[in-house]
Amino acid sequence: MKKELYFALYAIKKNIQSSAELRTSFLMNVVGMAINNTAFIILWVFFVKSVGVIGGWTAADIIGLMGFSTISYGIVFSVAGGIRRISEYTLSGVFDHFMLSPKNLLLRVATSYFGASVIGDFIFGLACLIIYAILIQASLFQIALIILMILATSLVFLAVTIMIYSLSFFFTEAENVTRGLFEFFLTPSLFHGGAFQGVMRFVFTFIVPSLLLGAIPVEAVRDVSLSKIILTIALGLIWFVLSLKLFNYAVKRYESSNFMTFGS
Amino acid sequence: MKETRLAIKILKTLTKDRLQYPGRLMVDTLTVISRCGILLLLYWYVYNLKGGLINGTSFVFVAWSIFFYFSFSTLRLRDIARQIMVDIQSGNVEVLFSKPVSYLSYRAWWQIGLGLYSFLVITAVAGLGLYLLIGLPFTMTLSLFLPTLILTFLFAGALSLLIYIAVGLLAFWIEDVNPVFWIVDKAIMILGGSYLPVALFPPLMYKMALYSPFGASQFVTHTVNESWASNWYQLIGIQIFWIIIISIVVYFMFEQAKKKVSVNGG
Repeated sequence: MKKELYFALYAIKKNIQSSAELRTSFLMNVVGMAINNTAFIILWVFFVKSVGVIGGWTAADIIGLMGFSTISYGIVFSVAGGIRRISEYTLSGVFDHFMLSPKNLLLRVATSYFGASVIGDFIFGLACLIIYAILIQASLFQIALIILMILATSLVFLAVTIMIYSLSFFFTEAENVTRGLFEFFLTPSLFHGGAFQGVMRFVFTFIVPSLLLGAIPVEAVRDVSLSKIILTIALGLIWFVLSLKLFNYAVKRYESSNFMTFGS
Repeated sequence: MKETRLAIKILKTLTKDRLQYPGRLMVDTLTVISRCGILLLLYWYVYNLKGGLINGTSFVFVAWSIFFYFSFSTLRLRDIARQIMVDIQSGNVEVLFSKPVSYLSYRAWWQIGLGLYSFLVITAVAGLGLYLLIGLPFTMTLSLFLPTLILTFLFAGALSLLIYIAVGLLAFWIEDVNPVFWIVDKAIMILGGSYLPVALFPPLMYKMALYSPFGASQFVTHTVNESWASNWYQLIGIQIFWIIIISIVVYFMFEQAKKKVSVNGG
């Protein structure tokens, strides 16, 4: 286990070093992504200005929401960016390489890719959460809760991403299917959390856990709600166990392929 | 004539291709549901909470405006920027330059062809669904609505393609156009009336949406507003203005870009 983790850290380090080689492109990606994310804050802050406070959510909560969503995205895809390429790997036969590796399969696949823009997501998320903590005048306990919730949201994000991309082994046109499902999971996490009430809140918490990425952690920190903290962590763990089970089951369906052909 | 034949051929081929791969339609459908569908449900809830009126606008106007934005986005015209970047990075652009067709018009028709099937199916089905659920605002029943919608839709398509072609052509000078693409794309998303419909814009933001090329590329979202009946010609005029300006920019960028390409054969 220790060896596997060393290997993962080594792979991540090399991925980042390789990406940073193209310095201008690397920096442009980081800054560009941070500006890109600001758009959502602008939109929802104007929404709050036009519509008023909904479900107790203010402009500060929107900043917190964006903070949790983007930082978990940044963390997960910094260390496990390869998961999003599983469908591409299975389609092209590249997955064979990973299966032949003596390392842990999921770890090997997860650390196989890194995109510079996720650093922009991470920095943006961190900045948002610092601003959020200042705006709500967070106590030390709330700051500790923010750190705990970052870990919990990252766990949820990682688990659901593994789950979605494990479906690559079940479909011929997996890239499109997984892209659509990932979009379906991610997009609501960037929406105004206060507007999700009743059935919508239930669906996007327990069935498609998008609200666990931002809306519920924000409310957990703001209201210091023990039930919401436990809910996020518990659901994160459940999703993670399920995702590992699904991945291991799905891999058994993989049929090795290569590009060697008969004839010319 | 040759151009028209090429366009028809591309559109026909890609539509047939899309019919063979229903997975792509599924992606587009899920995208529209996850963005537009959920957003409409949230607005419905918010409008109920606020007594049916926000900024003097009722839900039916906002819903159709958001619907038009997301329906238009299923055409995926913005992907042309990345496609041009991939052509340049892979060297494919050299091959395409040596063909007896205009590279940019080939890429533009290709992009339209890729999204046309999803656009037609999703717009027809979702539009009908929305009509059955919430009905039409009175502005959509006016006689000038349909012809002006078609006109502004065509200009919006042309303007979107030109903006994203300009972004894509930057790949001749910079390694990765993705950061520029994100910024332009988000400017269009904000000023186009995606998550926040134009009817709810604060005055300054409304002016920016009106006079910038980013907002002008999404004027289809304005067609449901009450003001459309009186200012449609002004808005279409703004679209034409930006089409001319950005066409000139694209022309000069493309001329400069061609000088940077060396076709070596092989």
